[in-house]
Amino acid sequence: MTDLYLIYKNMTRKPLRLFLTCFAIFIAFLLYGAVTALKGALDSGVEMSADDRLVVVNRINFTNPLPISYVQKIRSVEGVEKVTFQNWFGGYYQDPKQQVVTFAAEPESYLDVYPELLVEPEQRQNWLRDRQGLLVGKAIAEQFGWKVGDKIPLNSNIFSHKDGGQTWDFNISGIYTGEDEQMDTRSAVFHYQYFRETNSWNTDSVGWIGLTTKDPALNEQVAKRIDEMFANSSAETDTSTEKAFNKAFIEQIGNIGLIIFGVVFMAFFTILVLVGNTMALAVRERTGEIAVLKTLGFNASRIFRMVLAESMLVTLLGGLAGLGTAYLLIEGAKAAMARFLPGLVMTPEIAVQAVGYMLALGLITGLLPAFKAMRLNLATAFARG
Amino acid sequence: MASETLYDLKAISKKFTRGKETITIFESLDLQIKKGDFVAIMGPSGSGKTTLLNMLGGVDQPSGGEILFDGKRVDNLGEGDLARWRANNIGFIFQFYNLMPMLNAARNVELPLLLTKLNKKQRNQFVETALTLVGLADRAKHMPGEMSGGQQQRVAIARAIVSDPKLILCDEPTGDLDRTTADEILEMLQILNRDHGKTIVMVTHDPRAAKYAGRTLHLDKGAFVEREAEIV
Amino acid sequence: MGSLLSQISAVVAMNIRSLPKRLWMSLAMVIASAVVVAILLAFLAMARGFEATLEGAGSDNVAIFTRSGSASEINSTVTREQVNLVGDAPGVLKEGNTPQVSAELYVILDGIKKSSQTEANLPLRGLDVTGVGMRKGFEIQQGRMFTPGTNEMVVGAGVASQFEGFSVGSELRFGKNVWTVVGIFGTGGNVFESEAWADAKVIQSLYNRGSSYQTIRARIESSASIDAIRDYIAQDPRLNLDVETEASFFAEQGKQLRYMAFFGLFISVVMALGALAGALNTMYTSVAERTGEIATLRALGFSNLSAFAGTLAEAMLLAAAGGLLGALAAFLLFDGMSASTLGGSFTQVVFSFELSTDLVARGMVMALVIGLLSGLFPAWRASRIPVVAAFRANG
Repeated sequence: MTDLYLIYKNMTRKPLRLFLTCFAIFIAFLLYGAVTALKGALDSGVEMSADDRLVVVNRINFTNPLPISYVQKIRSVEGVEKVTFQNWFGGYYQDPKQQVVTFAAEPESYLDVYPELLVEPEQRQNWLRDRQGLLVGKAIAEQFGWKVGDKIPLNSNIFSHKDGGQTWDFNISGIYTGEDEQMDTRSAVFHYQYFRETNSWNTDSVGWIGLTTKDPALNEQVAKRIDEMFANSSAETDTSTEKAFNKAFIEQIGNIGLIIFGVVFMAFFTILVLVGNTMALAVRERTGEIAVLKTLGFNASRIFRMVLAESMLVTLLGGLAGLGTAYLLIEGAKAAMARFLPGLVMTPEIAVQAVGYMLALGLITGLLPAFKAMRLNLATAFARG
Repeated sequence: MASETLYDLKAISKKFTRGKETITIFESLDLQIKKGDFVAIMGPSGSGKTTLLNMLGGVDQPSGGEILFDGKRVDNLGEGDLARWRANNIGFIFQFYNLMPMLNAARNVELPLLLTKLNKKQRNQFVETALTLVGLADRAKHMPGEMSGGQQQRVAIARAIVSDPKLILCDEPTGDLDRTTADEILEMLQILNRDHGKTIVMVTHDPRAAKYAGRTLHLDKGAFVEREAEIV
Repeated sequence: MGSLLSQISAVVAMNIRSLPKRLWMSLAMVIASAVVVAILLAFLAMARGFEATLEGAGSDNVAIFTRSGSASEINSTVTREQVNLVGDAPGVLKEGNTPQVSAELYVILDGIKKSSQTEANLPLRGLDVTGVGMRKGFEIQQGRMFTPGTNEMVVGAGVASQFEGFSVGSELRFGKNVWTVVGIFGTGGNVFESEAWADAKVIQSLYNRGSSYQTIRARIESSASIDAIRDYIAQDPRLNLDVETEASFFAEQGKQLRYMAFFGLFISVVMALGALAGALNTMYTSVAERTGEIATLRALGFSNLSAFAGTLAEAMLLAAAGGLLGALAAFLLFDGMSASTLGGSFTQVVFSFELSTDLVARGMVMALVIGLLSGLFPAWRASRIPVVAAFRANG
């Protein structure tokens, strides 16, 4: 027998209570893990976006187009390094419900400005050469079972084809992967030139312009220069870092997200308080036994450690099980959710944070009773008995 | 050897405050207990006999005076030293046995050995010896809840002697037992005293129990009223 | 029987009087129940708010036409020719010779949200008097209607409350265009209050839309007319349009918001399980602490039913108190709270949490269920405490 055995026996003396306590902690951390991962996925678009890239959009709103002539003008702005542009295509595959995030872009500059898109050199060449080539992300390629060489039609819910209908034919010329697991690989990119020549509006406009600067320190200056250049024109621009742009977009989901997460975290902490209270009271019931141990000659610090270790163990037991279940849940949901929430993973940061909360819970709930047990006055403890 | 003094209490006083009142339990108490004694302390409730026992066991501290154990002062030891001293020298037996309900008999007996440097094998040997001595070797795996009061008290005795202390302190050891069982327990204490040389101090209100002791002290209103009523 | 009842009431009264002595335990139980109820009510109030905003918007007597496959107003385009053809469709009502058709435009502007001071998509709808007349419950709350042919706009009450700078009389600049807000309108709290409205012809010229529009709304006899209209569209190759009633169009749009409410509901149920475990624990401990007390009563001749009822009543009372507390908290925190999120057409939908009495009643039922579940098993245990426990030492 060791102290650990004693702790274990103390813990398991009332299995029902242990189960209920662990279950409450389990639920708390299950929710914490799952909801934080979910929140992380929602925020990952912002986290993943580059701080050193700028986005130029129409000042009215990013859904309004910019003249294509702006691209050349921006290329000549001092401090600008690489420039590319793209147009929202509003694509879907077979059924309007199967949306495919599709852009018409200038291929070469697109890959220059977005180097985090990893394409094998051969496929890259393929795509640059083929006017009808489509570069697709790994996630959608897997979703629809597309392989390099496949010929597939995509529809647009915005544009019409010159030959009638809204269907465009593409050759899958490459599949890109992300540098990072959380990266969104659900988009498809094709040649702007092909789009321009085949859509019925024959527009000379682009959706937005992406660019890198020679030095991130120049960002603010460059942004200002661009916006000043087009001030008072028929299409004024609004230039911001990609991160700021994405953040603004995510924020449009609005306080709803904030409210939901706020409520969940409030509940998380309340459960912890409740559980802590029960655990602390459970130790009080054992005053007599602790007094006996002390009488036998167990010293105060040893008893302190034992009581503290017990609450730590209970929290870790329930908490790790909850976190583990959240992990399995997330892993299981990952494939199914990949279409909606690509960045859904339980990151080590979330796990570390959760374990931190567990330790804090164990410490806080254990500390006071452990301290009381340590300071227990034997004479009064027995007098009570 | 038998005449050597184990305990020497000099001018012990003990006061409690309850609300605004100060209650004096002992004004100035002197007591000597020799090694190998079997002392019974009797007295009506409120006479201070449990307080005295607590002070002997280092569970409670006197308000004044000195307690010498084996020639060394123990009333002024810090809590850690006191705990170590208790572990090394004293075995406790309580009225309500105070076994750990979630540990079986053998584990309960083993508890004090966790405070020693003995290894697992040695500990198991000691436990077996102690349980055999109290006649419960076959109940080693039983939980306290599965045993009668007498059996539980025997487990408690085994726990008190397992680390081979010089002294055993008993607080109403038969208070919760029927007469036959009480006699068994008292006989066992007597054997421990006579054959194993343990010094025993027992608080009791049962005159029959006191008969097993070599020396009976009557405590009333904080003073010994009738000293050394020797019974052979 | 009378004596049994009086026994029970005596025990219940005794348990309740002794609650303050078990303060922390009682408080834990109350809080557990309060949190579950508050969370449940928050999500129910949110769902109720969505419903009122989106599903209340659509009429069964209005058909909405969009370019086929476009799925939302923002992606759709229709031509002047199509607008005229729709006017001749069967089932579309006419006043005199004029078909009740509203051709509308839908442009997205950047507005600044008051709450976060960030830019958010704000829809500007271009329409005419016929279109305005199709919105149920439309009323000008402040100022006046825009004058056709001018850069004047009226904004919904939701826009005025959630976005900066939309008070009557203020001038707003979007790109090169300057607009004057001349009025604030209400449509009974539904989604149209999240929009700004201006003359369709003015928007066509300011945003280079030529003679094209984005959606067509038409008054129809009843929702049954939709099928006939669909046949009419199918036969004319010039009409590559989707049509549905406005009611079902908005119901579809509201779906993703409803998912969020479902998600919330799911979370509150899971959370309730955790809180229930905590509450059960509390009640078991409460019974364990009162073992001596209960056994003593039994020794005095009280029945085990009274021990059972006493414990159950204690749990129910604490849970109900928690329920009330939770409902109150939800009411103070959430009722009427204005929230906004991204709707189906890529624009902000403003809605408010609605905590009605029937929702509060649902919350209280939840609290009582928690009380019942967390009281039942401990009460059973209390009723099984043997009388001898009274004589056992409690040391």
